[in-house]
Amino acid sequence: MNSNGAVNRVEEMVQELAADSRLQGLWRNFLTAALADNKEKKQVEQLKDSLSLLFEEIGEQAFTAGLRAMAAKNPSLPVTDLLCTVIQVCGEIRRENEQTINNLRQMLPELATPIIRIWTDMLLVALIGNLDSHWAQNIAERLLDRVSAARAKVVLVDVTGVPMIDTAVGGFLIEMFSAIRFLGTDVILTGIKPEVAHTLVKLGVDFRMVTIARDLEDALRKGIAIVTGEKKKRRQLAWVMTGDKESESGEEIDI
Amino acid sequence: MLHKKVDENLDIDRVFDSPAEDFDVFIRIAREEDIAVARQMAKQLAQEAGFSLADVTKIATAVSELARNIYRYAKQGRIMIKKLLDDREGPYLEIIASDNGPGIAEIDLVMTRGYTTYERSLGIGLSGVKRLMDTFAIYSEVGRGTVVITGKRRRKF
Repeated sequence: MNSNGAVNRVEEMVQELAADSRLQGLWRNFLTAALADNKEKKQVEQLKDSLSLLFEEIGEQAFTAGLRAMAAKNPSLPVTDLLCTVIQVCGEIRRENEQTINNLRQMLPELATPIIRIWTDMLLVALIGNLDSHWAQNIAERLLDRVSAARAKVVLVDVTGVPMIDTAVGGFLIEMFSAIRFLGTDVILTGIKPEVAHTLVKLGVDFRMVTIARDLEDALRKGIAIVTGEKKKRRQLAWVMTGDKESESGEEIDI
Repeated sequence: MLHKKVDENLDIDRVFDSPAEDFDVFIRIAREEDIAVARQMAKQLAQEAGFSLADVTKIATAVSELARNIYRYAKQGRIMIKKLLDDREGPYLEIIASDNGPGIAEIDLVMTRGYTTYERSLGIGLSGVKRLMDTFAIYSEVGRGTVVITGKRRRKF
């Protein structure tokens, strides 16, 4: 057996590779698994496990340096097989990471865009970050649902947290605003930064369909004006219908 | 400001195969996330080159538009950004968007405001890029791909 000699020298190699006893243990596990003769499924799994542990601990740079040193001293080391396993393990780690990123991405819209009822019949949504198409779709759907469920009269949309509005984001916002207006709800847009304003003009993105406010304070004032105006109209209507300016109990009539 | 259909001096394939080390930023566009990465890198480079906040935003937006066009129409391509230094004129940022996609048959039409072949688009992207930047040139050949070269000079204060 060619690799028997190498197996005997595992301990020697481990001493060379690491000083820390924990790292020595990791290298020992890895080398023993790597040099095992029978490559059964269980062995391969063991090799992968020990390898990913080692990766996590020392990082790929230290690992490649170690592997290079070992290969130079021990020609019997099955470098090709090891390399294949290493690539597989890397692939698995990458897939795991991608999965994690995907999961996080799905969580992000929920976390980052709360829809707040800020006043009677008024909702506030503060958009944050760069909006990609999935995220945009998610926000639009949730906002429309909420507007409809809450029978909101006004929605304040704050884009202070959006660093850049290109035609894709602009197009998404226009679509969302149009949809909200179809529900009979007014939109007040606020938080456009000067540099974004300049870019929007150059691009020719037009938000004229909605009211634009200087800042959140202004937006709130405009929103309250709309809500109160509507309430006044309802009261007038109630007065016309009952023919009585004030009800007998002295309470305001509302319909 | 020129936009030509085919330029004899420009080889679309050669631009596409430009080596990465010639550029300060070299990003392959293949997924939607790459658009955000390209935008972020462009923004960083422009900031480091000392562009004003308004111009940084314009450059980032232009890169975003170009990257999105690549992703939408060609599926794959590159965004390459180079910082050119000129003692007299100040730094100049050159952005090259290159793909081996279907190409554009009617460049004049594409450069028209409001024209789009994509259902969820405003159709102002390419003409918008031209207006955001100082220089703009587009070369395209059906079946071979498209190259957009655009640049912005840092204004003196």
